Amino acid sequence: MIKKLLIASVLALSATPLLAEGHATAWTDIEAQAKEEGEVTWFVWYFGDRFREFTQQFTDETGITVTIPDGDHASNIDKFLAETNRDAGDIDVLAFGVDRVESIPTDMLMMLDNLPEDEGRMTEIVGVDGSNTALGYWGNQTGIAYDPTKIAQADLPQSVEDFAAFWAANPGKMGFNYENGGSGPSFLHNILRVMSDDAYADGELSDDKIAKTDDGIALFNEYAANYEITASNADSLTRLSDGEFTLVPAWEDHMAGLQNSGEIRSDLAFYIPEMGMFGGGNFVAIPKNAPHPAAAQLFIAWLTSPEVQTELNALFGSMPMNTGSDDSAALVPNSMRDRQMPWTQNPFRDAVLDRFIEDVVLER
Amino acid sequence: MTRPSPWFIAVLLLPGIGLIAVFIGAVIYIAIAQSVGFYNLTGDSGFSMEFWEKLIGRKSYWTAVRYSLFIGFWAAVLSVAVAYPLALWLRKPFKGSLTISAILKAPLMIHGIVAAFLFLNIISYNGLVNQLLVWTGIFDDPRRLQNDSGAVGLLFLQVWKNMPFALLLLTGAVQSIPQDTLNAAQDLGAGTVERFRRIIAPLTVSAMQAALIIVFIDALADFTFQTTVGPTNRQSLSQYMEFFRGRGRWNEAAGVGVTLMALSLIGAVLMALTARLIFRERPIARVVTWYETRRVEAQT
Repeated sequence: MIKKLLIASVLALSATPLLAEGHATAWTDIEAQAKEEGEVTWFVWYFGDRFREFTQQFTDETGITVTIPDGDHASNIDKFLAETNRDAGDIDVLAFGVDRVESIPTDMLMMLDNLPEDEGRMTEIVGVDGSNTALGYWGNQTGIAYDPTKIAQADLPQSVEDFAAFWAANPGKMGFNYENGGSGPSFLHNILRVMSDDAYADGELSDDKIAKTDDGIALFNEYAANYEITASNADSLTRLSDGEFTLVPAWEDHMAGLQNSGEIRSDLAFYIPEMGMFGGGNFVAIPKNAPHPAAAQLFIAWLTSPEVQTELNALFGSMPMNTGSDDSAALVPNSMRDRQMPWTQNPFRDAVLDRFIEDVVLER
Repeated sequence: MTRPSPWFIAVLLLPGIGLIAVFIGAVIYIAIAQSVGFYNLTGDSGFSMEFWEKLIGRKSYWTAVRYSLFIGFWAAVLSVAVAYPLALWLRKPFKGSLTISAILKAPLMIHGIVAAFLFLNIISYNGLVNQLLVWTGIFDDPRRLQNDSGAVGLLFLQVWKNMPFALLLLTGAVQSIPQDTLNAAQDLGAGTVERFRRIIAPLTVSAMQAALIIVFIDALADFTFQTTVGPTNRQSLSQYMEFFRGRGRWNEAAGVGVTLMALSLIGAVLMALTARLIFRERPIARVVTWYETRRVEAQT
């Protein structure tokens, strides 16, 4: 028996270099095939113009053209779902947020086993696993953007009680959106989460769980005259920059991007309150019917590499999704990152937002 | 020459009307089918009234219906009301009238989203309007003017954008009224309001109906202005539809779409009928009757 085990071990060890060589050959083949394919279509719903510019370096390095069609988050996912029965679809690489993972059936995605080894890549974002079919390429965090000329760092609201006190003392100086972007919804959900015991523990929906948001809804109604509802993420930040507001919820990466491009004031600052706000990120995946599968794999390997992740952090303020990257350009220190809360999944999240619209927004 | 067979005429019309009917019909069919549970992108498809029951049980749905009807109605009425005096003023050419006419129609060439953002810049917290009002002492501090809950800013933009279209339709109709008719009315003592009410409006009612219908449908289905300058405490129907679609809730989005189509049709017919009822006799018959009455009165 021992003799057999020894022989098997020796054979296995001797085969390892062959396997490694086999993998390397396979990746070389993929690179060659990718260059033959010559193009890759990336469906990403934000920063279209800037990503077209950014991915030019991939084209320069590989000779593979990157096409980024216009389309919003939901439309891109709908298109992916609608063309799953086609032999060859139009999407090579699909980007989707961690909050939409439940919309993406993993059996319609290609396994990413062939990518070259890189232990720094992240397949999991805030507890949501990409299941070896999706890789994180963009980390983001919601928080509160503030105007340091109007409020001192020490006075920044950290808890539900602090926000209520701020509303009472500073009527009309905080605004947030409930649609057209996730920063406002993250704020209102987290106020409700803190005030509703364990209702936000999972995405299951029940009347009992919805009833637990009563106190939070009452709080928003009590202070309805003291805060403003804005039209979108961008509207909140623009009005903060314009001096209208002191505090608004924002996405860290969105704010950094607008500051880098000079669209909002560079002295505005950002923090994650101690009560916690949702954070997450975005995945990239390859549909099984991608027309250029090799180019798609090469593109994902490039996009998730430590160097490119460092560049994304510096240019857009996104949290790197590769542990080998440098994240020093982030708007918040790493010590604040433990305040990140995972997005509550649907159907509970949408049901609470529906309730917020019915019982708070329409009552204003 | 023998009259061609109706079938032959139908075949000749088919490439035009047929295509329109097929494309519009397909959209209506899909919207209705999705609203009752068919054509789901994922999961089971099958007849269900669940989505309609959910929809009509929501306060936000009825708020969106009432709000969209409010915007559609007032945008149409105000656009036509502003366009009429301008059309009458420009009826007879004068020095500079062509330039004025061109300037008035300029909003037709500016995309709604551009206009909406320009408007936002002007009325924003530190925008021109606030700066001017603070500088003149009317306001002590800047005030929040954007996204007003009364939708005044939105209606202003709707009229700004749609009035030129109404003007385009009404100018031609007003210009076609013979000067003799207006002179005769004036000779018989009809003032400005009386001439408009009894002669101009009845003779241009068809153009008025067309303007009311088109502006009503356009404003009822507004998305661009609503999402930029509209009130944030209510949603228009198209915004509400997009709200559902953005969350992958296609069946409810389709229900809102069907509502929008039905309201466009019913509302447009009602607007046209109301305009016709106000001037319920055939225009020329009404004018002749009024003219005869005045003539008899003048003789006695």
